Amino acid sequence: MDSDLILVIVVATALAFDFTNGFHDTANAVATSISTRALAPKTAVGLSAILNFVGAFISIKVAATIASGIVVADLVDTTVIFAGLIGAIVWNLATWYFGLPSSSSHALIGGVVGSAFAASGPDAILGGGLVEKVIVPALVAPVIAFLAAGACIVITYRMVGRLRPGPVNRGYRLGQIASASLLSLSHGLNDAQKTMGIITLALIAHGSLDGSSAEPPFWVVVSAATAIALGTYSGGWRIIRTMGTKIYKMDPAQGFAAQGGGAAVLLTASHLGFPLSTTHSITGAVLGAGAAKRLSAVRWGLAGNIAVAWVLTIPAAASVGALTYGLARIFGDGALGPVLICACLLMLMVAMFGKRLRGGPALTAASTEAR
Amino acid sequence: MIATDTAALLELVWAAPLAALTVTIAWALVILGTTKAADARREGHAGQATLHLGVAAIGAALFTAAVVFGLIVMTSKG
Repeated sequence: MDSDLILVIVVATALAFDFTNGFHDTANAVATSISTRALAPKTAVGLSAILNFVGAFISIKVAATIASGIVVADLVDTTVIFAGLIGAIVWNLATWYFGLPSSSSHALIGGVVGSAFAASGPDAILGGGLVEKVIVPALVAPVIAFLAAGACIVITYRMVGRLRPGPVNRGYRLGQIASASLLSLSHGLNDAQKTMGIITLALIAHGSLDGSSAEPPFWVVVSAATAIALGTYSGGWRIIRTMGTKIYKMDPAQGFAAQGGGAAVLLTASHLGFPLSTTHSITGAVLGAGAAKRLSAVRWGLAGNIAVAWVLTIPAAASVGALTYGLARIFGDGALGPVLICACLLMLMVAMFGKRLRGGPALTAASTEAR
Repeated sequence: MIATDTAALLELVWAAPLAALTVTIAWALVILGTTKAADARREGHAGQATLHLGVAAIGAALFTAAVVFGLIVMTSKG
């Protein structure tokens, strides 16, 4: 009975993480479109939400990779997964609070690695899989996206730089709608599947699903798609502002190059079955499109802060995951620990959202028009 | 074990920028062609306008093909 209740809590927590993933990563798909006024803010998040939902149904390859590649499934129970999710949610909320784009994927992986480590020691971690499937691609992705977007903007300016700016800007704003749509689709494809992977892992650990099959059941796909779409629609405006306007003031051609470069990296990575970070790819592309035009236009101090947040993501989420596992175990093997921790997390979320809401919206249609 | 996916990572290194550049050049051709066609038409050069529209059409076809290829890649895996 207790294990069933814990499974329900884990699934609900996983969907809560998926929701935070949606609003945290909305910026990746729509920040440049909103910044260049290719799309109105509400239209942008609405379109992105729909395409995230659709994207979640396209493939289950990444979900299978996560479920079978990061931790040893036999050594992981539902409490470990629960604690890992809490680690990821806490890191997502912390970075959202400060308006920093960071990887929800890394937060999730870090949280699970930390809680698995706390539960079973180093034997629970598949070090080779972590390096091969997560760390190496995560180091490579922003660099490729940076270079790709940089090359794209250089070629763009060479081809259309001497034309009248009016039609060129209108053209790239139109192109941005296509690239933002493709990016939203690929975000749903990549990120909703990470939640599917984690729920699948919980079902296997609980014994509800055959361990030989890491493919998620259909209800898992539907619920994960819905949660990420709702999260996306709610809009992470603070991070959108950071990505869209604070790093540098981009023109529509740069927005198109950043989105196109980032989408190309993500889709290629997804095709190869890597759980790649959307945030790393798009931020790398945004920086590349800005730096290729003029190095001094980019606020490198802010870029440095973002990089520090990226480096801290896995250890910080892992620490919270390990701590959560320890706290849950204080109350024994039952559901009491996870229930109390969920209650505390809910209070924390209400407090954080309340404080931010009292501060007023971080980004509105009026504020983008005013720039 | 790490060497297993080295080939895939190397593929990522060349395929991703290539895809990005293809999409960028295709869309730039669309903008270049339509803008120059409008200018040529305004100046009464119908022949040049048609030529530029042809360039825009090639760019649009390339852009559409790149997007469709990306969608096929997404839908065909798993």
